[in-house]
Amino acid sequence: MIVAHGISKAFVGRKAASVVALRNVDLCVDRGTFVSLIGPSGCGKSTLLRILGGLERPSSGTIDMAPGRGADATETVKTAFVFQDHSLFPWLTVLDNVAFGLRMAGVPKAVRRERARMWLARVGLAGFERHYPEELSGGMRQRLSLARAFVTDPDILLMDEPMGSLDAQTRLLVQEDLIRLWEETRKTVLLVTHSIDEALLLGDRVVVMTARPGQVKLDLRIELGRPRTMAITGERAFGELKAKIWEALRDEVERSLELT
Amino acid sequence: MTGSATELERVATATGDEVLDEALHALDAAERRRRRLDVTLAVATPAALLVMWQAAADTHWIDPKIFTPPTTIARSAGHLIAAGTLQSDLAITLARLVVGFAVGAAAGIVVGILLGLSRPLRSAFSPLFTGLYAVPQIALLPLLLVIFGVGETAKVLTVVAVTFFVLEINVVRAVRGFDPRLVEAGHAYGARRLRLFRHVLLPGIMPAIFTGLRVSIALALVVITATEFVASTNGLGYLVWNSWQLFEPDYMYVGLITIALVGVVLTGIIVAAERLALPWLRRSRP
Repeated sequence: MIVAHGISKAFVGRKAASVVALRNVDLCVDRGTFVSLIGPSGCGKSTLLRILGGLERPSSGTIDMAPGRGADATETVKTAFVFQDHSLFPWLTVLDNVAFGLRMAGVPKAVRRERARMWLARVGLAGFERHYPEELSGGMRQRLSLARAFVTDPDILLMDEPMGSLDAQTRLLVQEDLIRLWEETRKTVLLVTHSIDEALLLGDRVVVMTARPGQVKLDLRIELGRPRTMAITGERAFGELKAKIWEALRDEVERSLELT
Repeated sequence: MTGSATELERVATATGDEVLDEALHALDAAERRRRRLDVTLAVATPAALLVMWQAAADTHWIDPKIFTPPTTIARSAGHLIAAGTLQSDLAITLARLVVGFAVGAAAGIVVGILLGLSRPLRSAFSPLFTGLYAVPQIALLPLLLVIFGVGETAKVLTVVAVTFFVLEINVVRAVRGFDPRLVEAGHAYGARRLRLFRHVLLPGIMPAIFTGLRVSIALALVVITATEFVASTNGLGYLVWNSWQLFEPDYMYVGLITIALVGVVLTGIIVAAERLALPWLRRSRP
C-alpha cells in the first residue's frame, strides 16, 4: 500500500530559475492494485515514481508505504523498478541481469540463480540465460526487465514507461505478458505510460495528471473484468473510458505544449 | 482437369525452390572465393615484396649496403642471437616497457576515476593534465635525466608518463559520460557506494580502459625506442641507433624488425585480454 500526501518537488534549473515539477500530489494506492499514471510529457509523473521508489527526495510531503506500522516500516517495504530496456547491464548475461537485485541483497549464488531461471522461464526467456542483452530483440529485453523486477519479490512494482521503446506490435505482446504476470502475482503496481490504451488495458485505476506543475486531475476506477485480453480494447465500455480520459488529457497536453 | 492443374502448380513451386536454392549456393560460393582471395593477397603481397627486395639487392639494382637483402638480415639476426645480445636487448626493452606501462596504466586508471567522480579534483587537475599531455613526453626526457640521473628511473618514467595521460584522459571521459540510466538502475536494485562502483561503474568503463591500453602501448613503444636512441647503452632502441652510428644497416634492420614484432605481440596480448575480459562487446545482434 502507498499513501503519499502533499508531495511537491522543485528542481533548480540550469539558469537558476527553479522548476516546480509536482505540486501537492496526494495519491493512495491499495495493496494489490494496478494503477496507471498518465499525463503530458514533462508533467512530473516519472518524478513522482522516482520519489516513491526512493531514487529522489520530495521537496515537501510525506510517503507512508506501511500505514499503521510506524515510521520505520516504510524503509522495509521492497520496491522494484522496471525501466525502459536500455537500463539493462550490457556486461552481464541475461541470467546475471535478472539475479542482480538478489545479488545486491546478499542472496546466495545457487538460490538466486535458481530463482532467476524460474522467472526467465515465466517470461518466456528460458534458453537465453547465457546471452547478453544486446543479443536480444527489444521485446525480449523488455521481458528481461520485467523478470529482473519480479524476481526480487517486491511489495511494490514501479514501472517507468517500460514499453516506451517498443514497436507497436511487440508492445501488444509484452502488454499481454504483463497482464498475465500481474494477474498471477497481484503485486501493487504503479505504471507510468503515455498510452491511454495501455493505461486502460492494464490498470484497475487510471490517474490523469495535469501539465507542469503536476497535480492529479482525474482518478478513474476501471471496472473492466479480469482476466483481461486484447479483446477488451474492442468493447464499448473501453471506448467510452478512452474518450473520457482523452477529454481530461487533451487540455493538459495542449498546455504542456505552450509551456515548452 | 483440376487434378492436373494442382500437379502443375506443385511442379512450378518445386522448380521455383530449386532455382532459389541454386542462386543461394552460387552466392555462398562467390563469397567463399572472395574470402580465399583476401587471405591469399594478404600473405602473398609481403612475400612478393621480400622476393623483389632480395632480387633487386642481388642484382645491385638497389644498393645492398643500405637496403640489406632479407637473407643477409636473417644471417645477422642469427649472429646476434648466437652472441646473446639480441635476447638481452629485447629483455631490457621489454622490462622498461612493461614496468612503465603497468605503473602508468594503474596510476592513470585510478586518477582518471577520481577525477571523473570528483568535480573539485577535476577542476584542480584536469586543465593541468591536458596541458601536460600536449607536451610530447619524449621532450620531458632531458628534464627527467637532470632530476633522476642516467639510471633506469628516467627511462621508465617516460613510458609511465605517456601511458598515464592516455589512460587518465580515456577514463575521465568514460566516467563523465557514463550512462546515468545504468547508475539509476544499479541504485534502484540496491547497489550503493562501493558496490555501485564495483558492479556498475567499473564494468561499464572497462571498454574505455582497454581502448586506452591499446592506444598507449603503441605510444609507449615509440617513447621507449626514442629514449633508448639517446639515453641508453642497451635495449632495442640502442641497437638500432648504434647500428646507424657504426653503419651496420643489417643490424639496424634486425633491431627494427624486433621492435615491430614487440609492438605486434604486445598489442595482440591486449586485444586477446580484452576479448577474454569483455565477452559482451564482441557479440553482435542475432
